[in-house]
Amino acid sequence: MDYQTALSFALPIAVSIAAIGSGLGLGKAVGSAMEAMGRQPEAAGKIQTGMIIGAAFIEALTIYALVGLLLLMGKIGG
Amino acid sequence: MFNKLLFHVLTATQGAAEHAANAAEHGASAEESHELPNLITLINKSFAHHYDALIYAGVVALFMIVVAVITYRKRQMIPGPLQNLVEMIVEGLYNLFESVMGKENARKFTPFLGTLFVYIWFMNLVGLIPLFKSSTSSINTTAALAITVFLYVQYTGIRRLGPWGYIHHLLGSPTDAVTWALAPINLPIHLVGELAKPFSLALRLFGNITGEDILIAAFVSLGIMFMGIFGSPIGFPFQIPFILLALLTSTIQALVFTMLSTIYFFMVMPHEEHH
Repeated sequence: MDYQTALSFALPIAVSIAAIGSGLGLGKAVGSAMEAMGRQPEAAGKIQTGMIIGAAFIEALTIYALVGLLLLMGKIGG
Repeated sequence: MFNKLLFHVLTATQGAAEHAANAAEHGASAEESHELPNLITLINKSFAHHYDALIYAGVVALFMIVVAVITYRKRQMIPGPLQNLVEMIVEGLYNLFESVMGKENARKFTPFLGTLFVYIWFMNLVGLIPLFKSSTSSINTTAALAITVFLYVQYTGIRRLGPWGYIHHLLGSPTDAVTWALAPINLPIHLVGELAKPFSLALRLFGNITGEDILIAAFVSLGIMFMGIFGSPIGFPFQIPFILLALLTSTIQALVFTMLSTIYFFMVMPHEEHH
């Protein structure tokens, strides 16, 4: 197996594994935020701001995997 | 005319793929070649290809300047529709920053951070117009924005805390013997943390917007291939749901960039006065 075949198998798997982790993290974060908002609707604005920032940090990890894919995609060729 | 345009789009997409193959042979990165072609790349593929992000960033900046000047010149007590819209955006942003960093700081930083938000937002959205490109899908644009934020944050930190206060902050604000003993460990952690901020800001925005554009481009070419089975030159618009999704993510990513910048500013300020 040459490196191009290895890359074309590995890159989508890498991104999907990162997406699984991010999905679990986001589900937990947003779920807790929704629970908090339901319990205290008057603090919804502040909770939402915090939630969006936290979600951005979690999501960034998948984006790093995606950036890695974008950088290495040119090496597959074709 | 529309058919001809789509033909151009299709051939230009294939050209982009060839370009990517060539770039891969030469060891260069082919980051922009998987997106839909825009006006600049259609006019001249070889010359203007690497300047399209720059040109569209300039177009967006020019549009913002024109709107700002028109609104400022024609301001009235009873605002017209344009003035109403601009006032709404500015007030909304001011309230957002006030909730994070307090009244005085919000007054001082709303011009910079608000412009940052509106600029990134428009650059993200302009890519959804056919024949336009999101400048933020080029790493150069996002890196420039992130470096600007980084330098301004460090400047604000040195200005507000003083040189010694700034170093004290980098040492983890030690107060007693134990925290002073831990200061040499805190210093590299803080330095790496400060340097990681612009990287994470730039890569997050770049990755999100590029991913979004590649997704739309992939569904456009899928639509063209699908209708090509029936001999139709016009593609099926598979990309419409993803464009609606992109409207949402463009706004959220602009907001996230701005909110994180706001928090970075807030973190280097002396904290006593805000509680």
